[in-house]
Amino acid sequence: MKRITVDAGRCAGCRQCEMVCSFHHTKKFSPETSRVTVIKDDRLGLDYPLMCRQCSDCPPLKACPTQAINREGGSITVDWQACIGCGVCVEECRYDAVKLHDGKALICDLCGGDPQCVARCPTGALDYSEAPEFSETPWDAFNRLKEEWGIHG
Amino acid sequence: MAKIYGYTGKALRVDLTNQAHKTEKINEAEMRGYLGGRGFNAKRLYDEVGAAVDPMSPENKLIFGTGPLVGTMFPTASRFNVSAKSPHRGILGDSNAGGHFAPEMKFAGYDQIILEGRSRSPVYVYVKDDQVEFRDASAIKGRTVFEADGFIKSEFGDRRVQTVICGPAAEKGVRYCGLFANQVRAASRTGMGTVMASKNVKALAVRGTGHVEVSEPEEFERMVLELEQEIREHEQYPGRMRMGTTRILMMANDAGFLPTRNYTSGVYEDAYMVSGERLAEEYNVKNRGCFACTIPCSRVYSVREGPHKGLHGEGPEYEALGSFTSRIGNNDLELALKAIDLCNQLGLDILTVAGCVGWAMELYEAGELTVEDTGGLELTWGNGEALLTLIRLIADREGFGDVLADGSVEATKRLGKGMDRTIQVKGMDLIMADPRGLKGFGLGYAVASRGGDHLRSEPFLELSDDPEIGERMFGVPESTLRLADRGKGRLVSYFEDWNAVIDSLEPCKNIMQNMMLLPFERAAEALEVATGLRVTPEEMREAGARIVTLERMFGVREGVSRADDSLPSRFRDTPLMEGASSGTVVDLDLMLDEYYAERGWDAATGHPTPDTLRRLGLGFAVTDLP
Repeated sequence: MKRITVDAGRCAGCRQCEMVCSFHHTKKFSPETSRVTVIKDDRLGLDYPLMCRQCSDCPPLKACPTQAINREGGSITVDWQACIGCGVCVEECRYDAVKLHDGKALICDLCGGDPQCVARCPTGALDYSEAPEFSETPWDAFNRLKEEWGIHG
Repeated sequence: MAKIYGYTGKALRVDLTNQAHKTEKINEAEMRGYLGGRGFNAKRLYDEVGAAVDPMSPENKLIFGTGPLVGTMFPTASRFNVSAKSPHRGILGDSNAGGHFAPEMKFAGYDQIILEGRSRSPVYVYVKDDQVEFRDASAIKGRTVFEADGFIKSEFGDRRVQTVICGPAAEKGVRYCGLFANQVRAASRTGMGTVMASKNVKALAVRGTGHVEVSEPEEFERMVLELEQEIREHEQYPGRMRMGTTRILMMANDAGFLPTRNYTSGVYEDAYMVSGERLAEEYNVKNRGCFACTIPCSRVYSVREGPHKGLHGEGPEYEALGSFTSRIGNNDLELALKAIDLCNQLGLDILTVAGCVGWAMELYEAGELTVEDTGGLELTWGNGEALLTLIRLIADREGFGDVLADGSVEATKRLGKGMDRTIQVKGMDLIMADPRGLKGFGLGYAVASRGGDHLRSEPFLELSDDPEIGERMFGVPESTLRLADRGKGRLVSYFEDWNAVIDSLEPCKNIMQNMMLLPFERAAEALEVATGLRVTPEEMREAGARIVTLERMFGVREGVSRADDSLPSRFRDTPLMEGASSGTVVDLDLMLDEYYAERGWDAATGHPTPDTLRRLGLGFAVTDLP
């Protein structure tokens, strides 16, 4: 299955992915409408972009009370007609990849198969290709890199 | 009237004394006339902070401004200027930083935030969209920049709150303290942190949930994609990605203008030991970038063994690296990293610290300063432990540190000696490039509106040493020869205007100016597709000239004249003895005459003429001429 993967050691934390995502979907610029969110730790100098990973079990999809969340054509979709903005999906996602904006759930739709965040990432920290499911959280990645690079505190 | 995009069109005025706030409109004439960030701040400061205002009084204002391109995907558009009357010498205070603070201002709905008055108790100001809170800062009073940032973010449990913080040195009244965004992105010059602390404010924190919209989304995207490609294909791209500005250190040494031992030499024998190349090979672990950056050139380093094991951080940039190595004769790279980290935590401007320490070391080595003066510190060249001790003493205003805490000029007054060895203009200690090897930079230092500084002009084209460029662009072949004096008035005024535009639209000068990517023509196009405001390239340059001239008038109102547009005497009468810039001095008077003529300023006084002021739409300032 094709999915977006993250190389945390390369992410520079510039958040251009957030700008590109919001622009692609709304023609405006706002982190609030971006389906990708960069987690940053300025003390450690570490950064991690969070977005939908196409998990096979997708807890938000299962938990949605109005069946607004579905899997279509390789990505998760949200039917905004059906979405009631209850936020259960936000709670259920293990990777903080769902957010609410104006009462509707926002989830990465892979830009229809050509994810713009990947195309525009300046350091190659994002990749879109056939890849196994992964469960790394930002905190897992930060701990791994702290160990690897000898940075603490 | 057609809708204007890009800008928020709003300024937030925060009254610290009465814990009140209000929103004011920024109109189209101000946008066309002053563009944004630095330009907006210059106008506000000129209008509201007059000659009678003491920089440390509640009447001084601390103004944060950003530009119309910020908060979009425009490459590198991430920056803000912070301005006030400088407590360092009472002229224009203004400094610029990147990171993620400025776009958050835009998302919160503001082009400008003005802090005025003085809080009765220690606070930090929290702006969330249209709400303003004055929050108790007693828990972080006297704490480091890093600690305060962690505290504020933990108060909200929101990592997306962006902060600008002053350090404990500012709270002790050290006159040259900076403001820090994202912990290490310093608006470090001219004492803006000192002004914030004088208002009993520890930090400005901002969180915005709004958006920025551009006038022509398709055209805007096309321009952004073009710029991103040009950046990636640029010859400077690999070097900047690997070393950021630290790549300059070896270049400056090879060209013989690397300030060494307080500018007594332009060549440092141990340059490689403290170079960007060595940092990249042995210490850097990843790149980091400001908001919306295509060329994230900041680096995270880690020291994994030895006496400084465990030291890590972001940066440094060239000015800081050179400051604590060649400038003071220190070849211990790790010790320099430690000193830089310490200054960032304490909130000090590294260039001024190094200016003071380098000056004191030169006096000490010359026998003019003794351990009796220094409280036992042996200020020999390269004494790293003494440097670390002195940084702490300065931040605490203790012992000899107190002598240095107001800058090198004030220190000469306290000690009654050493003025001839200070390396400063208008009281601001110089940056890391010896003007004997870069004559146009020398002129730029002399006339810079905020004192001795390169970022007002930075006429890097003279490094090309290509007379054809000078002939083509300025009609004077020598203008782009770094060791020549002729043609520099035209070169420097062009670059000053250009930098004023960049500082007001607020992308990154390193990329948009140094890499020649946003000349006046394209800046005008960018403004139009972002905001809908149509200006010609000529009007764009004129806006730059207007900003430069208004900043000059701020200085004139404080008493600045030609006599203040000076350079340290050694640059004018003592040639460097070795290296590729040896055997020549700066002919400042020739360059100043050219410069004033180019600007339409009076050659005898250095004041803008009434005609020049009126031509630039600054007629309101005519009555402020002496």
